[in-house]
Amino acid sequence: MDLENNKAQMRKGILEYCILSVLSRNSCYASDIIKELKEAEVIVVEGTLYPLLTRQKNAGLLSYRWEESQQGPPRKYYELTEEGRKYLADLDKSWMELVESVNLIRTR
Amino acid sequence: MKITVSINLGGYSFNIDEDAYAELKRYLKNLELHFAGEESSSEILSDIETRMAELFRTKLTNYKQVIDIRDAQEIISILGTPEDISDNEGPTVRDKFSSPGYHRMYRDPDHRAIGGVCAGIAAYWDLEIWVVRLIFLALAMMGVGFLIYIILYIVIPEAKTTAEKIAMKGNPVNIHNIKNSVKEEFETVRKNMTSKNQ
Repeated sequence: MDLENNKAQMRKGILEYCILSVLSRNSCYASDIIKELKEAEVIVVEGTLYPLLTRQKNAGLLSYRWEESQQGPPRKYYELTEEGRKYLADLDKSWMELVESVNLIRTR
Repeated sequence: MKITVSINLGGYSFNIDEDAYAELKRYLKNLELHFAGEESSSEILSDIETRMAELFRTKLTNYKQVIDIRDAQEIISILGTPEDISDNEGPTVRDKFSSPGYHRMYRDPDHRAIGGVCAGIAAYWDLEIWVVRLIFLALAMMGVGFLIYIILYIVIPEAKTTAEKIAMKGNPVNIHNIKNSVKEEFETVRKNMTSKNQ
């Protein structure tokens, strides 16, 4: 068994969920999302985030607006769409179910 | 003394050493190939370039005004190579095209001694070619090897295209693998050329 591979698979599965969760609190600039994901150690290389954001945007879960910045060029701020919120609520539910299932087995 | 190149990255202008520039250009080209099948590949790339510019800005001070090769390598390792990125991506549209690996038997014209049958079998089961050849030689001495070889030669098609050569080894046919095998072919040609010149 490959422990690192196993851990990577777990992270993979929850990464999109984590991105949506970060955005559920307020709209974010991509680098802010990276900072949170890195602190929580769910992302290894930063490049992973950008294709996921674009795919979620294309799927209608996210939208973005350009915002002027004092430090440089305008920044892309992502936020959840109505559809994204519903999708996240579903993910929240399945996450809780998953945690319960695992706990049930572990504590038996 | 070194020559620097001036680049525009995500709306910022940077002075960057020539070797670092080459490294960066190769990296961005690889990313471009990696995302080529994606719906909004140019958007992903420009987002990554924007982030890259942001990271480069943290490397510069009043006393250090040029991006060097070490900075470039460090930022590439933070952002991740296409391989790192696809290792960490969730299940995606991309997977539909690239996996599972399409695996079928072909005759291998690149490593053949006679018709490439043994080489093809070796590639399919990931064996050493000489092992397969030895088995055929043994079968030939028993009197059946030759006939079996002829039949297999007729039945198994030759791997002609790059995609077929990849499928012969059982690797998924995607941009990354095609790129690698094109690179391999190029290296072989180059080696042949240099050995002929000597």
